[in-house]
Amino acid sequence: MIASPPPPALLMTKAERRRWLLASWRYAVPAMTSIFLLMLMLAPLPLVVPVMPHLGLLAVLAWAMLQPGLMPPWVAFGVGALADLLFGQPLGVNATLFAVAASVMRLLDRRVGRHGHSFDWAVATVVMLGVMACTGPLMALAGRPVPMAPMLWQAPASLMAWPLVVRLAAAIQRRLVASMPGWRHG
Amino acid sequence: MDWTQTPRRSSAMRREQNLALVSAVISGAVIAAGLLLLLLARVNPETASSIRTMATDVAAPAWGVVRAPIDGMTRLVAGIGDYFGAVSRAQALETQLDLANARLRQSRVQARELVQLKRLMAVREPKRQVIVTTRIAAAASGSVVRTAMLAVGSAAGVSRDMPVIGADGLVGRTQDVGQLSSLVLLITDPLSRVPVIIERTGQAGLAAGSNQPTLVLIDRVGPDLPLRVGDRIVTSGDGGVYPPGVPVGVVIEVRNDGPVIRPAQPPLGAGFVTVETAWLQMPAAAATGPLFDAPVPVEARTRGAPKPRLRSAEPGADPATEPTAAAALIVPVP
Repeated sequence: MIASPPPPALLMTKAERRRWLLASWRYAVPAMTSIFLLMLMLAPLPLVVPVMPHLGLLAVLAWAMLQPGLMPPWVAFGVGALADLLFGQPLGVNATLFAVAASVMRLLDRRVGRHGHSFDWAVATVVMLGVMACTGPLMALAGRPVPMAPMLWQAPASLMAWPLVVRLAAAIQRRLVASMPGWRHG
Repeated sequence: MDWTQTPRRSSAMRREQNLALVSAVISGAVIAAGLLLLLLARVNPETASSIRTMATDVAAPAWGVVRAPIDGMTRLVAGIGDYFGAVSRAQALETQLDLANARLRQSRVQARELVQLKRLMAVREPKRQVIVTTRIAAAASGSVVRTAMLAVGSAAGVSRDMPVIGADGLVGRTQDVGQLSSLVLLITDPLSRVPVIIERTGQAGLAAGSNQPTLVLIDRVGPDLPLRVGDRIVTSGDGGVYPPGVPVGVVIEVRNDGPVIRPAQPPLGAGFVTVETAWLQMPAAAATGPLFDAPVPVEARTRGAPKPRLRSAEPGADPATEPTAAAALIVPVP
C-alpha cells in the first residue's frame, strides 16, 4: 500500500523530514486523477445523448479498489461535490453517491476479496449500476426530478471504459511507486 | 481462580480497531452531510450558487484554452475541404441568391408597411441586444442534467436568465454566472421550459426538454388545433427571457401525449453562440410595498413582515407631490 504510515516526525532528521514533506503530494494523486477525469467529462463534444462514460465515478471506484487508503469516503465526497458543482446538479447528489460507492467498495474488498480483473470488473459494474439507479431518487429528493431512461446510454459506455480507467490508475500507481523507492508496494 | 482473565488486545490490534471505528464514524458523517446538503438544495436551490460559480470559473477558461488549437485544426481542415467542389456550390448558391433577392424585395415593401402601421398603433417594443458572442467551452454530456459552460461571465456583462442563441436557433439560458464563466441550462435539460408558438397556427405552448435529443411540446393553450409534421416552432417572447421569433425546432412526430420537436440548433453542435439581454428585464428587486409614516412595530418585523418603506426615507419625496406618488405606489386592494 502506498499510504504506509510515516515514521514518527520527531525521530526524523531534518533532511528526512523535508524529503517526506516534499514527497507527500503523492497522497493526493488519486484525488487529482479523479478530478482530471471529471474535467475530461466536460469536453464540449456534440453528443445528443449522454453516452459519455461516468469517468469520475469510475476513477473513484478504481482507486477505492487499488488504494483504499488513498480514496476514503471523505475524499470521494469531495470529488463528488466537485462533480455536482461542475455539472450543475444540486450539490450533494454525486457527493453522497461517490462516498457511498467508495465505502461499499471498501466493504466488498474486505468481504469477498480480489479475484482477478474480470471479477473486479463485475464488482465495479454492480456498484456503478447501483449508483446510477440511486441518482434518480436523489435528484427527486433534491427537488429536481429527471427522467432516467436516457442514462441507459451511459451504462454500457461506462462498462466499456472500466478497463481503460483501471489500467490508467494502475499505471499511475506503478510510476508513483517507482518514483519513490521508500514507499512500499502491496 | 476459576475465571480467566479477558485476553488483553495488543496495542497494534487496538490501534487498528480504533482506526476502523474512527473511519466508520467519518464515513457515516460524510454520507449524512451529503443527504443534508440534498435537503438544503431542495429547500433553497440557490444555496450552492456561489461555490458553483467558483468551480466553473476555473473549469471553463481551462477548457477554453484546450479547445482553441482543436478549433484551429478544424477550421484548417474545413478550409481545405472548401476548395473541392467550389464551382458547383457557387452555382447552387447563385440560384438560391436569386430566389432570396426576389423574396427580399417583397419583404422590404411589407417591412415598410409594418413600420408605418406600428407607428400608427404606437406599438412600443423592447430591442434585442447582443452582449457577447462566444463558443461553448465545456458541456456536461455524461450527466442526468444537460448543461454547458461559457468562458464569459459577469466581467463581460452576462447575468442570470439571459437567452443563449446559436446561428440556427435557441440553445438555452444562463443559470449561474461567475466572474469568468457561466453555466447554461440547455433546452434539452429536463428542467427547461421554453414558451413557444407554432408558427403556422399561432398556438402557444411550452417546449420541454427531457434529457433526450428531442423536445416535447406540452401545455398547448386554446382549442386542439391539429399539428402537422414539419410545423416550425418559434419562441413566443412570453416569460420575458427568450426574445420572440427565435427558431426552437420542427415537429417531427405528432403524438397525442406530446408532439416531438427536433431542435433547430442541436445545443452542443453550435459553433458560436450569442448571449443576449433578457427580452423583458426582470422588475427591480427593491421593496415596493406601501409607504408608511411611522416605523412598523418591531414585533411585525420579527414575524417576517418585509422591511417597511418610510415616507421620510424615500428619495425625491417632497410634501407637494407626496399624495400622488403614494397613491401610484400603493397597490389597490380589491
